[in-house]
Amino acid sequence: MIDPFSLAAGWLQEHVLIPILYATGGMEWEEISFGWALFACYGAAQVAVTFAICLPLERWRPVEHWPDSKAVWVDVLYTILSRVGILPLVTFVLFYQIQVTLNGWLSDHGWVPPTLERVFPALLGHYLITFFLYAIILDFAEYWRHRLSHTFGWWWGLHSLHHAQRQMTFWSDDRNHILDDIIGFVWFMTVALLIGIPPLQFPLLVLLLRLLESLSHANARLSFGRIGERLLISPRFHRAHHGILAAGQRSCNYGAILPWWDMLFGTADFGRDYARTGDPSAEEALATGSYLQQQVAGVRRMARLAGWTATPARVRARRSPGR
Amino acid sequence: MRALLTALLIFAAAPAGAANLAIVINSGDASLSVLDGTTGAELRRVPVLREPHHFALSPDGKELLVGDAGGNEMLFLDPQTGEIRRRMPVADPYQLGFSPNGKWLVVTGLARNQVDIYDAATMQLAKRFPAKSMPSHIAFSPDSSMAYATLQGTNALVAYDLNHLQQAWMAQVGNTPAGVLWHNGQLLVADMGTDYVAIVDPVDGRVVNHIVTGRGAHQIFLSPDGKLLYVNNRVDGTTTALDARTLSPVRTYRVPGGPDCIEFAPDGKLWITQRFAQKVAILDPASGALRSVPVGRSPHGIYLTDAARSHG
Repeated sequence: MIDPFSLAAGWLQEHVLIPILYATGGMEWEEISFGWALFACYGAAQVAVTFAICLPLERWRPVEHWPDSKAVWVDVLYTILSRVGILPLVTFVLFYQIQVTLNGWLSDHGWVPPTLERVFPALLGHYLITFFLYAIILDFAEYWRHRLSHTFGWWWGLHSLHHAQRQMTFWSDDRNHILDDIIGFVWFMTVALLIGIPPLQFPLLVLLLRLLESLSHANARLSFGRIGERLLISPRFHRAHHGILAAGQRSCNYGAILPWWDMLFGTADFGRDYARTGDPSAEEALATGSYLQQQVAGVRRMARLAGWTATPARVRARRSPGR
Repeated sequence: MRALLTALLIFAAAPAGAANLAIVINSGDASLSVLDGTTGAELRRVPVLREPHHFALSPDGKELLVGDAGGNEMLFLDPQTGEIRRRMPVADPYQLGFSPNGKWLVVTGLARNQVDIYDAATMQLAKRFPAKSMPSHIAFSPDSSMAYATLQGTNALVAYDLNHLQQAWMAQVGNTPAGVLWHNGQLLVADMGTDYVAIVDPVDGRVVNHIVTGRGAHQIFLSPDGKLLYVNNRVDGTTTALDARTLSPVRTYRVPGGPDCIEFAPDGKLWITQRFAQKVAILDPASGALRSVPVGRSPHGIYLTDAARSHG
């Protein structure tokens, strides 16, 4: 039986992408257009699934009520830009090209590029198992990327855009500075290349991780229980990371999907309950500005925290101690 | 003639009672589908590493080489069963073909912009030609002195002198050239960005004429009896039959789903991979009747164990 995503991707490829490529003189890309189509379908489905799961949860048991939700709309824009089409297309094309080039070069020099299936041949053909193994490895890498983004001042300047949201909802996961996204993408891709993730699985893994990350940002009073909280990151666990007391370089609960890394490296805090979110030290544009205003403010803050520009007294006064 | 000889060789090499199978290369699934060669029912699926596309039968007919471009690996299969016998690291083996004399194996690296010439006997790399960009399909002159490769990204056809292992010429041949075939002293090049097959002079790459077939002309196959050429038109979703002698269109068949590679079954039917539909179409060219059987994602090359064939 052909899976519905493949069917939809085939239809999209045959009736939309290929005619566009033909009309615009881009038929040389037809070979990899299936990958584009497939991940556009996955991206759209993922947003729909996220919406279907998270919205009822937020309505059912909201942590916070706001008089209006204007600040959330910019997060919706971030999500659409990030997930439906653009991110998967760019990641697939770049990842595919880089992986084939790099691995081909390694093959030329007599070294077989590393893949899980080569190290453990029994995994060959067991796509689901390898998929989850890759997901665990990537989640570990994500923990450290995220933790480092809170460690270095300049990086925190960019990442603080993500934390500035005082109306955190499931849409907030993609609320990132574009430079922070690029760094995250390069990090993710480097790890993926090192462990030999198949190009067709790469955006799928991105989407799976992002789906669970969306849930963890939901404005929902939801815990997975004493044991469940230690198996999978819940909205309660991740909200502690976004709490106003955790904003900045001394935070907790950095994990994306699995809390294991926080538990292993001593950064887990299971004790905080549904804190208010936001970063009191952030300038207002980072919290409630438009998309462009937030991007500009993020660069400004990065430059300040990196020491590239003088810190205005007004802003200095608002910065929290210890950062 | 070459196809007939190849077919005879296969029949001679086939063990008594060998199953009649179709092996389909699922480029989007990292797998091979092994089908019943009569009914088209999928019998099993063989996992490979990443992204296989095309095949070539070894000159002695004893091995079927499948290139896993994404996995940078060449697979050597039992051509009767589809069983993988061995693997070998090879950089980006997208399309592959043996020279008619069996001396050389030519491999195009679509993603790495290279054309590799291997000594077929030892599988040692004899020469690597940088080939910008996107080298895709391969043809040979019957005397094995020349190999030709289409460059999809730069709208060119490149010729290599196999006697001296050097590039002979490169010429513009249209828009996104894909399939290429030596035919009656000329080269036929399917221009995927157009609706025609270009007729090219093999001496210098000059385009001497066009034959309109359909939008997205992709690949060209000579029928086992040598009387017809079949051209798959990727955008229109059609297969055009040309008179092999006059090159005039004879009939156009509707084959939706991005028709790509063709194999010729002994009963006269054409087995055509449908890239976008994840199926293999079985076309009766006499009646035009078409039925499809499901396979894996983005099926590309197809091989029938008991058929005369053209290219993978």
